[in-house]
Formats: sequence, C-alpha cells, structure tokens
Amino acid sequence: MELYQKTAAELSKMLRNKECSAVEVTKSVFDRIRQKEDTVGAYVTLTEDKALEKAGEVDQKLAAGEELSPLAGIPVGVKDNICTQGILTSCASKMLYNFVPPYNATAYDKLLKQDMVITGKCNMDEFAMGSSTETSYFKKTANPHDPSRVPGGSSGGSAAAVSAGEAIVALGSDTGGSIRQPAGFCGIVGLKPTYGSVSRYGLVAFASSLDQIGPMGKSVADTAMLYTAICGRDPMDATSAAREYPDFYQNLNSNVKGLTIGIPKEYFGEGIEPEVKQMVMDAVKLLEQNGATVKEISLPSTGYALNAYYIIASAEASSNLARYDGVKYGYRTSEYTSLEDMYLKTRSEGFGDEVKRRIMLGTFVLSSGYYDAYYKRAKLLQKQIAAEFAAAFEGCDVIATPTTPYSAFKLGENIDDPLKMYAGDICTVTVNIAGLPAMSLPCGMDSKGMPVGMQLIGPKFSEQTLFDAAFGYESLVGGFTTSAVEK
Amino acid sequence: MTAMKMDIAHVAKLAKLQFDEQEAQKFEGQMQSIIDMVENLPPLSDSGALIDPENPMIMREDKVTDHCKRDELLKNAPQVQAGCVVVPKVVE
Repeated sequence: MELYQKTAAELSKMLRNKECSAVEVTKSVFDRIRQKEDTVGAYVTLTEDKALEKAGEVDQKLAAGEELSPLAGIPVGVKDNICTQGILTSCASKMLYNFVPPYNATAYDKLLKQDMVITGKCNMDEFAMGSSTETSYFKKTANPHDPSRVPGGSSGGSAAAVSAGEAIVALGSDTGGSIRQPAGFCGIVGLKPTYGSVSRYGLVAFASSLDQIGPMGKSVADTAMLYTAICGRDPMDATSAAREYPDFYQNLNSNVKGLTIGIPKEYFGEGIEPEVKQMVMDAVKLLEQNGATVKEISLPSTGYALNAYYIIASAEASSNLARYDGVKYGYRTSEYTSLEDMYLKTRSEGFGDEVKRRIMLGTFVLSSGYYDAYYKRAKLLQKQIAAEFAAAFEGCDVIATPTTPYSAFKLGENIDDPLKMYAGDICTVTVNIAGLPAMSLPCGMDSKGMPVGMQLIGPKFSEQTLFDAAFGYESLVGGFTTSAVEK
Repeated sequence: MTAMKMDIAHVAKLAKLQFDEQEAQKFEGQMQSIIDMVENLPPLSDSGALIDPENPMIMREDKVTDHCKRDELLKNAPQVQAGCVVVPKVVE
C-alpha cells in the first residue's frame, strides 16, 4: 500500500512510530499528483516546494521530540475560494485570475498552526456557483472513478483530490451542498458544519448567511480530525458562535444502540433514482439491525426549498459580487472610455455565464416591486423550514436521506440546462437554509460503478452525534472502500 | 401568482452587466425558466425576523489594529500610481 492511499489517522500514527517521514508522505502524494493530474485536474495551483519545505520542518520537529498536532505533516488540499497569503486564490474565475491575498482565511491559518502540509488550491465551480466544477474558468475536473463523469461541485477539485489520493484530506465550502454532493459523487466523506461553527473570515463570499467551510476525507475519523482543527469562535467573523468545542476525533464512538434515525418521506419521492433510495435504505437497515431505531418523519416544505434557496443565495450573491468592479484588485478590462464603461466591461468579461445568471436573478428578486414577492417570501419559508427541522428533531437524533438524487452524471450532460443542474441540489439545500450540520458518507457503488452518498442531518451543533453515527456505519461495513486511491 | 417577466436590459443595468443581442436572447429564455421555477412559494404570514437567540451575532470592538500594509494591499490593484489606485476620470 502506498502512503498516498492511507488515511490521515493512519499516517499520523506512522509518523509518530517513525514508520515513515513527513517528506516521504508529501513526496508520495506529489508523485500521485504527477500520475493522475492530467486525467483528474483537481488543482488550480500546486505548491510542491512549500509543501516539501513544511514537511521537512515537521520531520525536524518530530525528531526533536516536539509534541505536535495529530494533523502535523498531513498533506491537505484547499479549495480555491479560501484565502491563502502569498498563494493565488482565484475562485476559479477570470475575475480573480491574478489575486494573491495579503492575508490568510482563519480556517487556513488553523491548518498552518497544526503544521499541516498544503498541497495546493483545488479547482471549483466559478465563485462556488455550480454542481459539477464545469463552470471553472480554468479547467474541468474529472471524477477519478470515471473521467467521463463530473466530480460534483462546487468543491469538485477538493473531492476529486482526496478520492484520487492527490491529497490526504481537503477543505471545501458548502452553500447549498457544495461539500456533500461532490463527496457523494467521489465516494468520500464530507461535512457541512453548523452555520457559525467555522469562521468564514477569508472565505470569498458567495451567500454569507449560508456559506460554511468544512472538512473532506476518506474516513469519518479524518473528517472529525480536520473539523476539530478548524472549528471555533473567531472575532473576525461576527456570525461565528461563542462556544467551546470538544475533540471530535478523540470522542468518536461507534456504538449506534439507542440512536433514533428519522426518514423523511419527502426525500425518497419522485426524482430520486430507485437504486439510490434502495442503497440508502439498506444502510439505514444495517444501523437498525445494530441497535438504532428508525422512524418515518415528515418535512412538508421540502418541495419549496429549492425555490427559496435560489432566491436567497442569488440575492446575497448579487450583493457580495458587486465588489468586483476592476478598481482595487482582480481583473480589469483593457479598454474603456469612462468609469461606467470600465465597470460594465470588467464585469461582463470577468464573470462566466452561471455567475451572471445568479447575479441577474439576485438583482431581480431584490429590485423595487419584486422584493416582497420573492425575497421576503423566501426568507419566511426559510424560517418555516428551520421550524420543521426543529420539530422533527424532537423525535429523532439524526435524519437520513440520499445526498443526491443520482450518482455522478456525464461531463456536459447538464451544463446547458441550469434548471436540471439546480434540481440535483434538492436533498442538500434545506440544510443550509436551516443552518444545520450534515454529512455525506459513502454507502456503496451503484450499477454504473459510481459511488452513492447517504446524508445524515443533525440539529445545530450536533456534529459529535453525526460523526458517531457515521463512524458506527463505517465500522459496521468494515471501513469505506469507495475512494479511487486504488485506481 | 401569474408568471412575472424579467426586463433583462433593466436588470442588467442595475447589475452592471452588459449582453450582446445573441447573449441577451439566450439569457432571456434561461432567466425566465429560472423565475418560473423559483416563484412557486407557499403563502406565509410574516412572523418576525429569523434570528437564533442562542447564538447571536457578536460584533468585535471597533478598534484600529495593524492588519495589512498599504503596499501589500496595492499589489493586487490593476493600476497604481504614487501609492494610489488609478481610475478613469470621475468628475467632469
């Protein structure tokens, strides 16, 4: 078994037992990148020199007997909308093709403090708007299980990198499913944390009330380790919650006896492929056979969630993306006759079609005469959806659903049909609307040979319950074997 | 509710975007189908703001700190002269 195929938890032990060095781990991952990157295309920017330098430092510290974080020396990929001082942060957009941040995002800073090794910046849909990583200005990323299929999105580069062994773990961001959906499509684990538990400082804003940075890994333990490292109060983000967090990794408990799992019938209806339903229900049944209780629940407003999501997310995006005017940073058009002309050309040339559609929709729903009909009603529905979840959690600990209605689709299949692309987010957007935590974990391969994801949703700040339930399932199936590290 | 129609030219002006005729046509069709999708919302009564009393927003103290250096910030500007960002003439 090669080092790049191992999990962070395994490598952490090996580093401490001197079975390998951090430089060897990093070299193994970069050799794998050289082998796979032409096909997969997970990265916008690679930082091999910095990575090897950092790995060397970790080896010296380990040799000197310093007490280090369990994540020290572990190679991690970072989504390209997370600001990294001195490293290009493009958001996969022409608009930020040359943007090198003068500061670090808090979540990234925390990785550096853990002595993690940064492999590079992962490809994504432009400004995180998309579900296939096909809207990236720079390149398309392929699913490492089948290069003719998408890795999902918008954190498709992060998911593909982890699945292919081009990183051991990765950071993604999730506004409507952008961690969970690609995790599901690539056969790995991804957590969208509770809103407010991870600082958004330095995360390039898409929809500020929904965005959240989260961890991705091949196992539940790796995801728990990375989440423990990045969560916590940050004065630089006013929406970051003032709470203390435990060590989720050390606390992992695989016992699912007494766990109550809610099954919302609205998430298993029309539009969800029968094979996907079956695989998720088989996973739930396995938990039930081992002591969990399963009950049917109802979340009646689910059918409207996608509508509310696209109104709220686009409204916030149109406001957040107003800052890209070609003045202080990023792309500026080459020829212009006036300030207005510079704005118009810069924005029209700098943004891709999907970003323009969201800006147009957002501007429209916030414009005079339409605000009440769209934005205000969407915000009311948001409250109703949150209340329905809260009521459901009075009778269950977690809710299980499919992560997506289907497994990874073909490159180009949905890109010209925005509605079809949006419809794929139906199982994930409700979680962001309600500010809840949710995980996607693999529950096997379908008849197309592609991974299928199960989503577990919990009440606010119930990440430990989610990790434990997921760890319970992972232990029962004898570990996940759905990543593409052996391909 | 009857289907609302988006005035592409007006919204584009507000959003500081411009489309040529061919693009405008493509966008018009796409935007209309997106609006047809999102406008299907149930009637709900206004029941106050969506806030989470257990996890309120916390503003930090309004204090000057040494954060980013001017030179570092200006490194990303498209055009700089004498420590200032250059823009087209704004006052006639």
